[in-house]
This record gives sequence, structure tokens and C-alpha cells, in this order.
Amino acid sequence: MSTQASPPPMVQAAGVSKWFGDLVAVSDVSFSIGAGVTALLGPNGAGKSTLLRMMCGLARPSNGTVTVLGKNPRTDVAVLGRIGMAPQQESLLDYLSGREFVELAAQLHQVGNPVEAARQAIQTVELDPDDTRRLSTYSKGMRQRIKLAQAIVHDPLVIALDEPLTGLDPRQRREMIQLFHRLGDEGKCVIVSSHVLDEVERFGSRVLVIAQGRLAAEGDFREIRNLMDDRPLRISIRTDQPRVLATALLESGAISGCRLEGTDCVVVDTTEPAAFRRAVAPMARDRDASLLELRPLDDDLESVFRYLVGQ
Amino acid sequence: MNPHIYRVVVRSQISTGRLLALAGLSGVAILLAFVARAADDPVEVATRSMGTFGTNIFAPFIALALGSAALGNLVEDRTLVYVWLRPVPRHSVATAAFAAVISVVGPIVVAVMTLAAAITGVGDLLVATATATALAVFAYSGIFLALGLRFKRSLLVGLGYIAIWELLLSRLGDWFARLSVRSYPMSILSDATDVSMRLADRSTLASYVVPLAVGFAGLVYTSWRLSRTEID
Repeated sequence: MSTQASPPPMVQAAGVSKWFGDLVAVSDVSFSIGAGVTALLGPNGAGKSTLLRMMCGLARPSNGTVTVLGKNPRTDVAVLGRIGMAPQQESLLDYLSGREFVELAAQLHQVGNPVEAARQAIQTVELDPDDTRRLSTYSKGMRQRIKLAQAIVHDPLVIALDEPLTGLDPRQRREMIQLFHRLGDEGKCVIVSSHVLDEVERFGSRVLVIAQGRLAAEGDFREIRNLMDDRPLRISIRTDQPRVLATALLESGAISGCRLEGTDCVVVDTTEPAAFRRAVAPMARDRDASLLELRPLDDDLESVFRYLVGQ
Repeated sequence: MNPHIYRVVVRSQISTGRLLALAGLSGVAILLAFVARAADDPVEVATRSMGTFGTNIFAPFIALALGSAALGNLVEDRTLVYVWLRPVPRHSVATAAFAAVISVVGPIVVAVMTLAAAITGVGDLLVATATATALAVFAYSGIFLALGLRFKRSLLVGLGYIAIWELLLSRLGDWFARLSVRSYPMSILSDATDVSMRLADRSTLASYVVPLAVGFAGLVYTSWRLSRTEID
């Protein structure tokens, strides 16, 4: 019987921290990423872009090490030939046309036929390779796609995309997500950062959750989603009989605590949001109480990440 | 040197504002040449004009406008990533940018100043002006290329350098004058026509070697800085 060794990680971070003066952007983060699509999920300012920049050698870790294909991307110029990156910023070399911009990337990567490679990459992101307009005239969505084209023109093994779906319409988003999966299925390591939970859900991939510069969770998206769904929720209920409804919910065990606010509002805490959602409407109906409003008080992404960090 | 980066930097340098500045300064150079030609002592006036305007104003200001922008603009608009994130040695990026600045600034400044020298009718000035302005362009391009990468407001820093270091501090004494780039090309002009000018008393060898060394030092610093800098 032979044992098959698992393939070595393509991107590896070991105890990586990054600080700018007193500001800690990334704190002691370790992970390994292999082939396929990996989402880097976290709120704005969580440290996702800083992590991506360190993976691409654009920034130096203050502590720890980042390796890409076993090499330090900061000091090994050759490994940059295996990395493609679409940074978050919108700015491009605006005096070039889209084709010239992607051709430049191909030329600098010493692609055999840069003109043809650029044409193919531009077509892959659904832009017109014969468009001679300057990049300064491109819309936000077009700029996102041309950034993606320059990131893949040299057929890299590791592709880092910083918020690549921003500015795209729903159809373009769908197409791009399909493209990410196609690249992942080809054995490439595709790392996509996003602060939009639903967006990451559609990647259906492995997720690294970054919050406040720390790795808050990692694993399959479904596990992370379950963890998020299981967290305690605080919900504001506006009703004409807040006291009656609160008592009923407490007795049923659907909520763990409550607080009356004013004459028509009760704020409840629940550790079983699904059970609460199932119970609240029938209970109100059985007691002739009118449900005027149900409003989660901490359902924003920030609170989700705060909860994960606390776990 | 990377030819692709060279082409991109050259393209980035061509703007209406810069072309207008070039045309305006070129016009002043030609005008000064006609004034010198009509002067009682055309040799002295022409030498001073070529020195004061050509090496003190025309060469440094045009080198500043284009040199500081060559990599500085990429830093400021956060597009350096599209050059840096490629398997290209950093010295190759720096050399391409330096060559782009030299090849745009050099021919224009040297051609205009040589034409101006020809207009003055002072034969001894022709080769000396071409050489002096070429060396000044080389040195200032190296300095301002490095400044563009080092400082966020490199144009202002460069203007400060020209005004404070080159034009003011250099007058404080011989030691300061030796640290002023303009004193070296001015010495070449002075040697050619035997017209004495303030600061223009560097040795012949130093007049040629120092501007070249300064330009190369700027290039080396730019390469080093590129390999150390964090890219936004």
C-alpha cells in the first residue's frame, strides 16, 4: 500500500504580522493555501489587502514569513513570474489602451506571443481586444476586468484578486466567479478577497475570515456559515403587546432574555435564531398580538466578524 | 534596461503642460542668444547666458519636471504595482526610467542650447554648450529620478533643492559650491571661452566626472530604493 503525500501548499503564511507605526494591520496570522479558490473574507480595514500585498511581495511582513511556491516573493524576483495580482485600487496606466496595458504585462512577464496572449486574456474577461480607447475612458466595471486580464495574461500559478467583483453587474459577477472556479479547477491557487458575505457564499469555496488583522476562522464556507448562523442574535420586536409576547417567547425557550423598551417594543436575545424565527409569528397570532416590526440589531457583517473573533 | 518599461515611461512623460514649458523655455533660450549676439561683448554675454540659463535653469527645471514624474507619478497614482509586480530586476526598471528621462530631456535641452550657442556666433561655445548641458541633464535627471521615488511631493522638494541648494547655498563658499551640480557644467563653459564666472572654477577633470558620478549615484539610489520600497 502506498501513501500519497498531499501536495505542498502554494501560499504559506507563518506567524505573519504587519504594523504601520502603532497600527497593527495583521497580527500573527498563519495559514496554508493550495490549488483552488480561496476566499479572504473580512470587513473593510480588516487587513485583507495587506495580507494580499505581502503574499505578492509588495509589502514586507514586520514579523513572520510568507512564501509563495516555496519562495519569498519579496526578495525572489523570479517567483513574481508565477504570481498574478489585481490590486484593489482603480488607478491604471490611463495613457495606455486596454490592449496595450495587458500587452505590457505579457511583455514584462516575457510571454512568448504577448499580442496573442493579451488578446486572449482580454476576451476571457469579456472585453473587446480591438478596443483602442484609452483606459482613462473605461468604466469601473471595465477597469476591474482589465485588471483581471493583466493578472492572468501570463498564466500564473497563484492569482491574488483584491475585491475583484466591485463595480461589476450581476451577470459579470456570475461570469467572473465561473472564471475563478475554472482557474481553480486548472490547478491554480486563486485567492479572492471580499467584504461581502453573500459574494463569498457564491464562491462556494474555502474561506479565511480575517477580522481586526487576525485570522478569525478558516475552513469550508458552509462550516463558517453555520458558525455565523449559530451566534446569538439581538432582535427588536415592535408589537402592540410586548409584555405578553415576551413572556410567551421566554416560556417557550426561543429567547434567552428580553428587555422592554417603551410601550410597543421588546428587545430579545436568542441563541437559536432559527427556532425564534419559527416561533415568533405563531405565538403572536395565538395571543392576538400584532407584529409591527422585527429588526435584527446586530446582523451587520461587522458584528458577525466580531462574534467570530470572540470564538 | 527593460525596453517595455522605457517606452511606457516615455509615453507617460508627454503631456501638454510639459510640452508648453519646454517650448516656453526654448523660446527664452533663443531670445537670450539673439540678445548676446547683439551685445558689445558677445563672448562674455553669451557665455554667461548659456551658463546662467542653460545649466542653471533650463536643464534642471526640465529634468525636474520629467525626472521626478518618471517613477514619482507611478507612486502617486498607485500604478507602480503594474511595473513592480513583474519578474524584472529592479535595476532594470530604474535604468529604463533613467534612460527615458535622459532621452526625452537630453535631446531637447542640448539641441535648443546648442542652437542658441550657434545663434550667438561665438564658435568656442558650440561644443562646450552641448557638452555642459548634456552633463547637467545627466546629473539632474539622476537626482530628480531618485527624488521622485523618495518623496511624495517630489516636484516641490525638487524646486526647494534647486532654489535653496543650487541657487542659494552654493554661494556661501567654495565648499558649498563644490556640492552644487551647476558649478561643474558652468566650468566647462568658462574653460571654453575664458570668461570668468562665479562658481565656475572646477578643474577640467572634475567638470566632466562629477556630473556623471552624480547621475549614476541617482540611478543606483533609485535601484536600491525600488528594491526596498513597499508598493501601495
